[in-house]
Amino acid sequence: MGWLEERTGLSPVIKASLHVRVPMAAQTFYFGGIALVLFAVQVVTGTLLTLYYTPTTDHAYDSVLFITSDVEFGWLIRSVHHWGANLMVVFVVFHMLRVFFQAAYKYPRELTWMVGVGLFGLTIFFGFTGYLLPWDQRAYWATTVGTEIAGGVPVVGEFLLLLLRGGPDVSQATLSRFFGIHILVLPLLTGGALVLHLVFVHQLGLAHPRKPKIRKPGSEAEDNVPLRPFWPNYLLDELIAWYILLAAMVVLASLFPVGLEEQADPLVTPDHIKPEWYFLGVYELLKRVPPLIGIMAPVAVIGLIMVWPFLDRSPEVLLRRRKIVALGATVLIVGTIALTYWGYNS
Amino acid sequence: MTRPETDGIGRRRFLRYLLGFSAVSTLGMVAWPVIRFLIPPQTRAGAGEGRVLVGTIADIPIGSAEVIPVAGKPTIVINTAQGVKAYSAICTHLGCIVAWDGSSQTIVCPCHDGRFNPASGSVVSGPPPAPLPALDATIEGDDIFVVVN
Repeated sequence: MGWLEERTGLSPVIKASLHVRVPMAAQTFYFGGIALVLFAVQVVTGTLLTLYYTPTTDHAYDSVLFITSDVEFGWLIRSVHHWGANLMVVFVVFHMLRVFFQAAYKYPRELTWMVGVGLFGLTIFFGFTGYLLPWDQRAYWATTVGTEIAGGVPVVGEFLLLLLRGGPDVSQATLSRFFGIHILVLPLLTGGALVLHLVFVHQLGLAHPRKPKIRKPGSEAEDNVPLRPFWPNYLLDELIAWYILLAAMVVLASLFPVGLEEQADPLVTPDHIKPEWYFLGVYELLKRVPPLIGIMAPVAVIGLIMVWPFLDRSPEVLLRRRKIVALGATVLIVGTIALTYWGYNS
Repeated sequence: MTRPETDGIGRRRFLRYLLGFSAVSTLGMVAWPVIRFLIPPQTRAGAGEGRVLVGTIADIPIGSAEVIPVAGKPTIVINTAQGVKAYSAICTHLGCIVAWDGSSQTIVCPCHDGRFNPASGSVVSGPPPAPLPALDATIEGDDIFVVVN
């Protein structure tokens, strides 16, 4: 270690990263850490998949079939990548809900929240772009509908549609773009945003779920709370959660391996085609309301979530004293679940 | 020692302007070609104008329909009792490809169950905001043609 330290001088950086303290009362449920590990799993499995995947409309489907059927453990790597993507959406949402209900987005953590919402957007975009790559029927039509939705955004819609598809239709140009975005652009953006998010969390510390940070200097209630070391106490708890997650993911991938539908046919939309579950709510909404409302409502909700810390400036963190906020969020969550359920069953 | 007052813009301010101008122009110099690069070049779609043979009466008997690519675009050709009709097969709601529902004799979109009238292409039910764009279709002998403009 001394040899390495002499040549890197990184010891103070590592010590500063690990030797921090977190409030004893902090309850993260490890959602953020799990989302971080899932991103790492996606990077590893995704890199492995690119060794066999061919991003052309003529060969994409066959190469995915080859990975699934012929490459040793190909089915496992692909299924873990599939489950990792789904679980990442789940845990990013859980993490956001935890932060929201514990009011951990409030002063001074507004920017941490905003970068987090950006990471949620990147996670969804990961799912959307990765979805097309197998070039099966579901992939093709989910992308057709998804890009058409983007095309319906007022003013910039037509530009967005052309930008995403690389032409008027979903074609080779779209596959090339989605592949490039999925394996290069999004990982770089997500990596950068993650570093920023973690640096903010490190510098500001974890929020106390019951004591607010007061803006006035000298009366910082949050500062006088019992703490425990991040390393090794908190991190070891995280590690246990990560191992449970990895085990669960391998079980899920083994019991429910990802399949493949018929090869994409631009002339036939299959009956009752549906997008991935996290787009079902928007998909169902578009069935019930005019396209403009169906497209702009989710955009407005995401925008509202993004700037929420600047709208809700009260220092109160206890949920029982934030009844209106809790009610609004619950209505939004129940509405999204109901739309997703209807979309699933329609 | 005090610096003598100079008329007009000071040295520091001038350098600040210069720095700002350099930063903006560098950003523009990088951003503009990148944005232009991302927008795909316009290409002529389809096979141009003219008539396209899409099948025969035997292929599409009365009361049935087929989705056929015409000039690179999916087109639904329907043989109705009132004659042959052709429409763009791209649903006006979210771009799915419509199909023929023989039991209800309507054009149906499998994505959100939007339905269109085969005689006019107009919306019968569901969320599509506009009718299917019509194309001219003619029968000559046993052959069915769709006219591409």
